[in-house]
Amino acid sequence: MISLLGLQPAYMPNDELEFDYSVSNIDQSSITAVEVSVLWLTEGKGTEDMGVHFFQRLSGNSLNSIQWNQPQRVHVPLPESPLSYEGTIVKISWCIRVRFYFADGTELVSQEPFYLGTVTKAL
Amino acid sequence: MTGWWIIGSFGEASFFAACFLIGVLCLSISITSLQVGSGFWLLVWVSSALIILGAIGFWYRVLKVVTSDEHREAISHSGLIPGPTAKSKYVPPPMIPLLEPFTDSPGAKLAFRLPCPSQDTLALIGIGGFAMSWNAMLAIFFVVAIRSLFEGNIQYRLILLLIPGIYIGWRSGRLFFMSYVQALGIGSTTVEIEDLPLIPGKSYRVLLVQYGKLVIKKLTMRLVCEEESTYHYGTDIRTERSVVREQSVIVQGRSRIDWGRPLEMEGIVSIPNDAMHSFQSLHNAIHWKLIVEGEANRWPSYSRSFPVVVYPRAASKPASAD
Repeated sequence: MISLLGLQPAYMPNDELEFDYSVSNIDQSSITAVEVSVLWLTEGKGTEDMGVHFFQRLSGNSLNSIQWNQPQRVHVPLPESPLSYEGTIVKISWCIRVRFYFADGTELVSQEPFYLGTVTKAL
Repeated sequence: MTGWWIIGSFGEASFFAACFLIGVLCLSISITSLQVGSGFWLLVWVSSALIILGAIGFWYRVLKVVTSDEHREAISHSGLIPGPTAKSKYVPPPMIPLLEPFTDSPGAKLAFRLPCPSQDTLALIGIGGFAMSWNAMLAIFFVVAIRSLFEGNIQYRLILLLIPGIYIGWRSGRLFFMSYVQALGIGSTTVEIEDLPLIPGKSYRVLLVQYGKLVIKKLTMRLVCEEESTYHYGTDIRTERSVVREQSVIVQGRSRIDWGRPLEMEGIVSIPNDAMHSFQSLHNAIHWKLIVEGEANRWPSYSRSFPVVVYPRAASKPASAD
């Protein structure tokens, strides 16, 4: 199970996003890669667009020195835009996404949304 | 300039169009009838000069009508091909349209003249180009047909082909001149703005200038925020738009506009505190634009759109735009 801690519900542009993530109840030696990303997505009527603001991938020897059941802290300075938005046919949402890959080919994903800015609605 | 501007401009365009057609006719006669000699080359030279003079003069007159004097002046200063731009350390906010296309044209009274991406001008040029090429081709076939008539070797198939050809040439020429007269009468619209990019919570002066020779029944300018989504529907690609904010900026009742005396109106554009910034991704967008709509006597209603860029409140402005 992936735990995402310390994430606030809303941030202002240029704020620093700070959160912890950890994984429990798994065999740590079976982890082959870990990916952490901060991204925005569009939803609504149109085809979905995605923009990755921050991406980190850990794999190979760098995994061995990390205790994955302990919180791993990530600092990400947020951009000025795009702000979170709930329009009529266009919606923009931000989230952090953590993905663990295992030796048997399976993966574990956890995602947590947050707001960027104070503009949330079209009207 | 004195007299009725429309007749003058229309007459000049017709004169250059006639020069072009005479040039094509003379060239086709010289190529089909004359032997190569000094007289032949003289005629080819004169005909080519007439064609070039006619084509350039014709399009110059047409384009002078569809763009304003100040706009052409701005283009002549900046050049059609933009020069190399200095590298700046400023990085624009992500997913917001670049500001440069909106700020590269200075205004006469306010800081920036907004671009107006219009399909009308392109359509006019397209129709005119087709009419000119078609009628030039027709003139060559016409000369060949007349020549065969005089020689007693009548080419019936060519004459039969000329009949629908003349009809298409007449219709395309008529369509072009109707669009041209409409562009002449309504004239161009320019919008200038005090500052760019626009920031939520701030107000900006705008200037609307309507050129032409017409009696306006109503002229309005609105600030509009529009969402745009592109999606696949079966094998089609569809685009849907939805206006989510609208603000009246200028409303003008009945007024008369003459050539040399354009209608100028000022207004205030206020961007609400909680407004969303401009956004552009591959399939989704949020556009802000100033829409000018006019109703005029004896002319069809028209609508012209002037996009603007709204930044988020926290975003830093580029140094060049200050």
